[in-house]
Amino acid sequence: MRVPARYRSAAAAVELFAAANFAFLALDIFLAHSVNEFARWEEWIPFGFSIAAAPLLLASFLAGGFRPRGARAARALGLAVGAAAVAVGVSGLLLHLDSAFFERQTLANLVYTAPFAAPLAFTGLGLLVLLDRLVEAAEPEWARWVLLLALGGFVGNLGLSLADHAQNGFFRKTEWIAVAGAAFAVGFLATALFARSDRRFLRACLGVMALEAAVGVAGFLLHLRGNLEGAGRTLWDRFLYGAPIFAPLLFANLAILAAIAIATMLAGIPAANRA
Amino acid sequence: MGFRNVFIAVFLGTAILVAAFMVNRARPARETAQPSAALVRASGKCAECHARETPAIVREYEMSRHAARKVNCLECHQAIAGQEKYDHRGFVLARHVTAANCKQCHATEYDQFLRSRHAAPAWAAVTGPKEFTPEQIAFSEQFHPGGVKRPPNALPPLEGPQALASGCQKCHAVGRPNADGSIGACTSCHARHAASVELARLPETCGQCHLGPDHSQIEIYHESKHGVLFNAQRARMNLSADPKRLTTADMPVPTCATCHLSGLEGLKTTHDTSERLSYYLFAEITDKRPNFTAAQVAMKETCRKCHPAASIDRFYQEAETVVAATNATVREAKGIMDRLASEGLLTKVPFDDPIKYLYFNMWHYDGRTAKHGAFMGGADFVQWHGAYELTSKLTEIKARAAEIEARGGKVPARAGTGALP
Repeated sequence: MRVPARYRSAAAAVELFAAANFAFLALDIFLAHSVNEFARWEEWIPFGFSIAAAPLLLASFLAGGFRPRGARAARALGLAVGAAAVAVGVSGLLLHLDSAFFERQTLANLVYTAPFAAPLAFTGLGLLVLLDRLVEAAEPEWARWVLLLALGGFVGNLGLSLADHAQNGFFRKTEWIAVAGAAFAVGFLATALFARSDRRFLRACLGVMALEAAVGVAGFLLHLRGNLEGAGRTLWDRFLYGAPIFAPLLFANLAILAAIAIATMLAGIPAANRA
Repeated sequence: MGFRNVFIAVFLGTAILVAAFMVNRARPARETAQPSAALVRASGKCAECHARETPAIVREYEMSRHAARKVNCLECHQAIAGQEKYDHRGFVLARHVTAANCKQCHATEYDQFLRSRHAAPAWAAVTGPKEFTPEQIAFSEQFHPGGVKRPPNALPPLEGPQALASGCQKCHAVGRPNADGSIGACTSCHARHAASVELARLPETCGQCHLGPDHSQIEIYHESKHGVLFNAQRARMNLSADPKRLTTADMPVPTCATCHLSGLEGLKTTHDTSERLSYYLFAEITDKRPNFTAAQVAMKETCRKCHPAASIDRFYQEAETVVAATNATVREAKGIMDRLASEGLLTKVPFDDPIKYLYFNMWHYDGRTAKHGAFMGGADFVQWHGAYELTSKLTEIKARAAEIEARGGKVPARAGTGALP
């Protein structure tokens, strides 16, 4: 079966990336909010939204609504999902602000409080969905917007890995690898975004992203091992209260998004400029 | 590839990493310099759930000296040698936190406590020696002969297991043997999450157990000038003063802890509640304790922080006169009881005749009250609740004994087991 060209585009890749992330977020949110047993009813909103968003977005995608000039109804559905995702993310951020850190504003509270930046994952995904429907992927700005969102993701990842590992006081030196990985990802992506970059530098960025993906997989395996060997009455308990099992995969996830943007930027560099 | 972009990227990455190192270093070393990752994590992770699930204990902890010194939850709750462990949300905890956990940091205080009557003798007073190891018994008997090697109290079998579990044992658990080999619960006086010095200095804390007709210390204290002054000036007391630096400026009026335990104005602090006690006031017939002289010197030294030596000596002489008079009255009653028993007019079964209750109430309630009243400045307790009741009951005992002798037989009222307490 021959896949139509529009479904083999960078925009399609970003759309599938967003749908897959929404689906995965359902599992991640369920784990995160199970820690406090969904103490407030609002905590079910991101979980329910994640479950609903993935198939809706997929439907919009399959009906060709993921481009600015795509099928009108399908595009409207995608825009609605994107806008709702932005709203869920911003509301989540505001609700997470109701935490010990904002009462006392100490470094220790910042480390152990609810990760107030985490809900912005919804906002980022929502913006990606909106971007696909508002800007043609062929336009140069599209790739730069995707790269900006990937950079934002790595900035968040830097904060999360710093705070998460600070909970252990960086007891194992290897816990700094994630922070260093996020720091250099931010350095390279920010440079690619804000400074004029040639083809070789963008390729170097791709290499860095490959390393970020490796960091993510290694982190996942380390967290998995830690949880299997850790304390907990049940295996579920170990994963619930142990190291956040999926968090390291955010490195690989964001590396993929950044790679899509960089590859698109590479394709957009005129042949004459190719070094 | 242009060098400029690589330079900027590496510079940015390095700068961010250095900033992260610096932020991490800003955390207090007391939180992060721990022997395990779990001990670091406990500095905030526990409160994340418990602030929502059991907020009061978190608040109690936050007000404590432990919190001020950044002692975290796991340092007290971690399972140590000999303790039953259980997994709790990523942490391995002790099923029961005991004196052994407190001893990790407060070894001197625990060792002092172990020598006191609050330790093994407190629990043995209810259950006898059966739950203690031979080593624990031998250790305690050095300081309190007959304090642990004694029969269980005779009353619980008569009153029922509910009175034992919800009554006797609640107070006497201060000296209960723990499965980990330690004895007692520091939390009886200091509470759990408050871990409070202030609490242990409050008369009401001691009064949780030292009240009622059998040991009415709290009532006597509140009648005494010490108690009246304390209640009037309580707001001006610094009850949370450092025990090693406690002065009369912090507490110009004493509470129970001040006289019995505190290191007032440079005196040696102790957790041995018996250390400054010179008489067995709780006993049927009061006698001097083995450490009589040293104990009296230690207590008088404390008194000297507020009273002249002559007043103290006079106070002791008056109190000793009350002890002697109480002993004489109780001995007279005891003589009657012994005579009835030797004539075969009373069984050996405890509490099977009203006269046995009468005699028990006499020495156990009124005799103790008179003697404690005398040593604690409670005049009403020396006389109306003490001497008067002793005299009244002696008269009743004599009348009852005459009836029994006239009848010339045993009249068991109800079955009982064990020995007299």
